[in-house]
Amino acid sequence: MIWHITKRELYDHLNSLRFAFTIVLLLVLMIVNAIGYLGEYKSRSTAYQKKVSASLDKMRSNADNLYDLLIAGPGTLYKKPSVLSFCTNTGEIFIPESADGVSDRSVMLPTRFSFKAIWRMEYPQSNPNLWNIMPDYTNVDWSDIVSVVLSLIAILFTFDAISSEQERGTLRLILSNSVSRGTVLLSKFLAALITISIPFLMAALINLFLLYTSGSISFGLSEWGRLGVIVLIAFVYVSIFLALGLLISSCVSNSSISLTILLLIWVIWVVLLPSTLGATTSGLQPTMTSDEFNARWQSLYQNLDAQYIRRRHDDKIPSREIPATEGTLFWAKYITEDAKRNEKLNEEHLDAQIAQIQLARSITRISPASSVQYAIESLAGTGFTRHVQFLAHVRRYADEFMAFLIETDRADRESPHAIGPKEGTSQKPVRFESIPKFEDHISFAGAYNAAATDIILLFLFFLVLFAGAFLSLLRVDV
Amino acid sequence: MLLILIRRELLANLMTFRFLVAMVGTLLLVVVNTVVLIDDYERRLTSYNTATQQHSEEVSSASTYSSLEIHLDRSPNPLSIFNAGLDRRLGNSISFSHILVPTHWDTESHSADNPFLNLFSSVDLILIFQVILSLLALLFAHDAIAGEREAGTLRLTMANSVSRSVILLAKYISAMACLMLPVIMSLLLVLILFSISGSILLSGDDWLRIGGILLISIIYLSAFYLIGLLISVITRRAATALMLSMVIWSTLVLIYPSLSVFAVNRLWDTSSQLESAYREIEQIWEAFERDRMGFLRNDEIEGEDLNANIRYGGTVGTFHTSNPTTLMYSKVETRSIGIKPEAEPLMPHVKAYFQFTEPRRIRAAERTWQVRQKALDQVHVRKANMAKNLMRFSPAAMYDFATEAWAGTDFHGIEDFITAVQQYRQTIIDYFYDKAAFSSRQWFAKDQGKVDWSDLPQFSYHRADVSIGAKHASGDIACLLLINIVLFMMTFLIFLRQEV
Repeated sequence: MIWHITKRELYDHLNSLRFAFTIVLLLVLMIVNAIGYLGEYKSRSTAYQKKVSASLDKMRSNADNLYDLLIAGPGTLYKKPSVLSFCTNTGEIFIPESADGVSDRSVMLPTRFSFKAIWRMEYPQSNPNLWNIMPDYTNVDWSDIVSVVLSLIAILFTFDAISSEQERGTLRLILSNSVSRGTVLLSKFLAALITISIPFLMAALINLFLLYTSGSISFGLSEWGRLGVIVLIAFVYVSIFLALGLLISSCVSNSSISLTILLLIWVIWVVLLPSTLGATTSGLQPTMTSDEFNARWQSLYQNLDAQYIRRRHDDKIPSREIPATEGTLFWAKYITEDAKRNEKLNEEHLDAQIAQIQLARSITRISPASSVQYAIESLAGTGFTRHVQFLAHVRRYADEFMAFLIETDRADRESPHAIGPKEGTSQKPVRFESIPKFEDHISFAGAYNAAATDIILLFLFFLVLFAGAFLSLLRVDV
Repeated sequence: MLLILIRRELLANLMTFRFLVAMVGTLLLVVVNTVVLIDDYERRLTSYNTATQQHSEEVSSASTYSSLEIHLDRSPNPLSIFNAGLDRRLGNSISFSHILVPTHWDTESHSADNPFLNLFSSVDLILIFQVILSLLALLFAHDAIAGEREAGTLRLTMANSVSRSVILLAKYISAMACLMLPVIMSLLLVLILFSISGSILLSGDDWLRIGGILLISIIYLSAFYLIGLLISVITRRAATALMLSMVIWSTLVLIYPSLSVFAVNRLWDTSSQLESAYREIEQIWEAFERDRMGFLRNDEIEGEDLNANIRYGGTVGTFHTSNPTTLMYSKVETRSIGIKPEAEPLMPHVKAYFQFTEPRRIRAAERTWQVRQKALDQVHVRKANMAKNLMRFSPAAMYDFATEAWAGTDFHGIEDFITAVQQYRQTIIDYFYDKAAFSSRQWFAKDQGKVDWSDLPQFSYHRADVSIGAKHASGDIACLLLINIVLFMMTFLIFLRQEV
């Protein structure tokens, strides 16, 4: 019976004006998306390769002396571009592409010595959006097509599902057969889902075909897997709005009123809430302003000065004696402390910024449009989620690199093992091959884990709304 | 008769559920957003005040003429609450010296706390009107004719001695009155919130601007209502009219603008235009360098060092900036040094050197600016204009641009500030000439005390007059009006010839 009703509904939908509209709209959007991203990945990944090899060359030139390596650090670390950037690419113009593991400072002391500071991690704070005068509108990526267009289409297919049958009296006819109301609801839901999935899958396949045949993208197994999950998420998201449409349609007896209510809910929930809530809640957890940051930076230096320099340790002289003299150890401690505190301040600043955004993002999840955006972002390996993962990789690598330097220094018998000042550090060449290299990767498990919360949230939304639709249909007087 | 009809329509519209929902939704969003936006404005204002304070102190700390570098800040525009435009996004701090003419693309931000905040697109009141009220206009219009025809009441009305034009006019006027209600109510709420916060002081000019924004909102909503009315006249059934209206609404308001921005962003290639400009700039500075070396060759001292053997301490900045992507290029020579006692006889020689080089350096900097400005504008401004012109096929985009121009938060409004800074730089250069600064000892040496900056001309900037904003908006407003007239005529003509 359920297939019977589904089939009937399906024929109805496929002949309607809205179906034609859906096909045209989705095809246009997906083809524009494909054209926009033709060759984009290729040019990005060649630029990435070039930058990475330049950074490695620099490291190689520093490798003939461990001390040079300690000063120069691992160089700039770049984020690997994602193959699936056409799925979603929010913030590509202002999310930084790299982190700097460098130092170019020399510390002048009011004593007789001057030192070079050793390397530390720095995170770019620049904001290229300052020059962006393009009008502020959303992209035409998969995530935007799904979150805005598909949800609207879902509403257009379900707003009159129950109410128009009620108006025409056909609902009574159906129910006079031995059909449960749950079956009616389920079959209407399935019919609408199938109707929407036909043009969506078609447009998505054409999009992928264009990108694939132009040679701009090479998919591996993992990319196909992630794309599959993205499509699944899109279906769950569409189901939410189908359920919402059925719920309102069965609550209200007039389809015009039902559409009005649905559209107003949709506009607020999907279009306005994500950005409004984002802007609102980011004020809840303010970060350091640049003035505050500078003030903290200055107090850090004053502290350090008070501990090490004001006391005029002219008697403490770094030397190459083995074991390390008191002077060597003293200055080694000063230099490492300087680097450590600087890095800590930088990281604190960055963490505060990330926490601010994370909080705002978790509140915007009230709107499934944000959830679906974030889930697709995690799976596609772009945007903010990816940037946070990249930063985690960078930090892990920074520790690894430093540990390597200390270990190599230990292996050198001619070094006093007091890392920091030139006298206290090994001067031996380092085998370039043995230096750990930064290899950024988009991990699967990471992608799925990051997306899991959002997917569960979307499921919950769907379940609640579908249950609501079922209950309200049960109560309908035919 | 017209009045009776209007009253009937008005009541019919006001009593509907959709009106209630839209009204409550709009007011709620407006209040929440205004509170947030006022808070944000206050934060920007504080950061502007601290920044100007700091920067004015920095000026007086420069010890020689050549080391003067001035930072100026752009104050936030209170009307950015209505339409944020570029006011919040673009850089609001700019610096210049005699050697660098600032352009729009050299700005920085004194309040950029968290760059990631850009992830959330900016919200303003115009966005709420643009999306929700246009939807409401279509919801009012779709069954205005088609619905009455289906119900048969249209025939009843016409059985009286009412002309068709009166019916149409009555529907139009009453619907517009209903649509104005949420706009005016939210405007009132916004103004109340303004006065509660106390930090936003509106000048007479600003009131005119708000009036202009209100006017454009009316025209915009009327355009959408007429689109809906036309659809309602053409279609037989209200349901079809509704579906068609939704298709057109989603295309015009949401999909088409995004599509055109995306297409321009992705398909517009700009990088190659910068190379030739960069070469041109290099040539300008090579010519300057030739002049400078020629002067040094011909003077009487040979083999002098960078400081003409006169320095015993202080700072010397002779650095060379060049960046092919931002076209930043300058050769700076700023000094703040002490003079060795035995170098005193060399003084006239050094003064002559600077008197020769500095005016030429300034000229080179100005020519660099001309080339730079043109090239960078071609890259950035033409791209944005291209996107904007493409978007203008959608009334929603026109509404956005027109209100932006009225509020003074569009590109022109921000360009005015840059122009004012450039003019101010010219006054400073004139001031240098007046003081004969280039040939003075205080151009490079600090040994006779700091320069007295008390008579330095002050920078003042006032936002351009409201008439200029109105002028920039006039094209879009005219277009919107034209759309209104055409739609009304079409609806009228079709309705006149139609059988009921």
